[in-house]
Amino acid sequence: MFYREAGQFKSSYNADQAILPIAQDRVFVIGVLAVAFAGVPWFIDSYWVNAIFLPFLAYALAALGLNLLTGYCGQVSLGTGGFMAVGAFATFKLITAFPELNLIIVVLLSGAVTAAVGVMFGLPSLRIKGFYLAVATLAAQFFLVWLFNKVGWFLNYSPTGQITMPSVEVFGVLVTGPRATPAARYLFCLSFVALFALAAKNIVRGRVGRSWMAIRDMDIAAELIGIRPLAAKLSAFAVSSFYIGMAGSLYFGVWLGSAEPIEAFGIEQSFLVLFMIIIGGLGSVLGSFLGAAFMTLMPIVLKNFMVDGLAVEVVTAKHVEITLMGVLIIFFLIVEPHGLARMWQILKEKLRLWPFPY
Amino acid sequence: MNQEHTGNDVLLEVHNISLSFGGVTAIEDVSFDIRTGEIRAIIGPNGAGKSSMLNVINGFYHPQQGSITYKGETRPQMKPHHAASHGIARTFQNIALFKGMSTLDNIMTGRNTVMTKNIIWQALYFGPALKEEREHREFVEHIIDFLEIQAIRKTPVGRLPYGMQKRVELGRALAAEPDLLLLDEPMAGMNVEEKEDMCRFVLDVNEEFGTTIALIEHDMGVVMDISDRVVVLDYGKKIADGTPDEVRANQDVVDAYLGVSHG
Repeated sequence: MFYREAGQFKSSYNADQAILPIAQDRVFVIGVLAVAFAGVPWFIDSYWVNAIFLPFLAYALAALGLNLLTGYCGQVSLGTGGFMAVGAFATFKLITAFPELNLIIVVLLSGAVTAAVGVMFGLPSLRIKGFYLAVATLAAQFFLVWLFNKVGWFLNYSPTGQITMPSVEVFGVLVTGPRATPAARYLFCLSFVALFALAAKNIVRGRVGRSWMAIRDMDIAAELIGIRPLAAKLSAFAVSSFYIGMAGSLYFGVWLGSAEPIEAFGIEQSFLVLFMIIIGGLGSVLGSFLGAAFMTLMPIVLKNFMVDGLAVEVVTAKHVEITLMGVLIIFFLIVEPHGLARMWQILKEKLRLWPFPY
Repeated sequence: MNQEHTGNDVLLEVHNISLSFGGVTAIEDVSFDIRTGEIRAIIGPNGAGKSSMLNVINGFYHPQQGSITYKGETRPQMKPHHAASHGIARTFQNIALFKGMSTLDNIMTGRNTVMTKNIIWQALYFGPALKEEREHREFVEHIIDFLEIQAIRKTPVGRLPYGMQKRVELGRALAAEPDLLLLDEPMAGMNVEEKEDMCRFVLDVNEEFGTTIALIEHDMGVVMDISDRVVVLDYGKKIADGTPDEVRANQDVVDAYLGVSHG
């Protein structure tokens, strides 16, 4: 009833090509961003930031990165955990070697380092596809984590085998370390995620995004109309790894604060992020966020409901939670194999006609 | 029959092309030329090597022998990317559209070779990248008008009926502003009306844009009607070459292809 595009005429190609061509959508998204930037920081406390917002933001950025590669370019990757580790270790090495460097630049550089590593591990994609490529990227996962664990230089020869983020200020405000305020940490991550989500959306609706999707949908035809598979696939690996590297950097630097390579960046991370984009929706920027939200928030909701609501013991609750998560994933995949983003789209299409569908 | 706009300069010439896959010979010592501005049909029974020939011309298959002269440059084989960026575009026998993308995006993808702005500008979607996107959108809209597919501009191509998909595929090939357009069975599986539409588009492309067209088609009526010259392949060998009337009169062709009683 309220969600109508009737009467909204486009008189220029710019207007027609806008990210959100429908006015109601624009209002909605601006509203969400306004709440996220101006509303949330007022009530956020350390529980909310550590348990909900930072994991969501870090994973959303990683899922976005993987979605660019897997959802848009069709190259399956199981190396996400390894690439997040590259971002985290790049941040750690850079910030300990150059403490004066602005953290924003450090995060961007960590992304760039990861992009280079990603391109290297993306080279097999020129020869192999599908499951075989997944196995090849799995090698990246195990090799990188092993490397960081084994070579002392990466850990700055830390005796505990952990890396710890020093307290760093950005423009005079502490954003990492134990004394940083929740709001500062949250806003730092949110800015990155919001900016790069916009950038991702712009990339996928332009020339590069179309060449990725062309490779995904029909690689031979794409090649014959003049898209170089080499350039398209490696640029997808580079951009995807750049995002995942930044996600790893925020994950370690701002959220965890200290990390141990095998635990923090194991194969579970790779699967978790892959599940996020499958559940959220492959080939959708929105889907990455929905998937990340589902996978990070659902366990908390379930746990709180069981422990506080039903007075189940914490240990039992944990087991039930894992089972329920599995059931929910299967349920969503059966109901809508194309993910939550597609559900949202169908809902909007229905809403356009509601309540008079004729 | 469209002789008046057919120049006599040769746009593409294949010399003594031989192509085999392992022990199977697909093309054997075939030579022919395509003149600027003409509609050139390649016909022949199934398995005669017609599609392979197109694949050789745009560089997807690499012939073991022979050479290709395109726009005055002779090379032993074409590279797909080189062919695409030097004005050879094609459509496919089995539709090869990008199923997950809209009609508009599919046709825009056809302009990839002429778009240049790098990924940083695109991420910002501002300034040069925006201008470029707008200019190419305008060009693509002309193609959409030309092919009369305005109504399906934003529809994902996977949802379109077969005839429409064929039309979108032609649009994608046209978007590259080709000098030479290769059409692999553009009318296969269409009903009479769709065939008539497609013939009209092919002739219009040839006349209005001056695009040279090489097409493979099984519908003899269509081939004899619209093409200027016809080359006939059978079992990988060239058995005839000439105007539709000459080909129709050729006894080898009649025997091999158009069918004759072996009484």
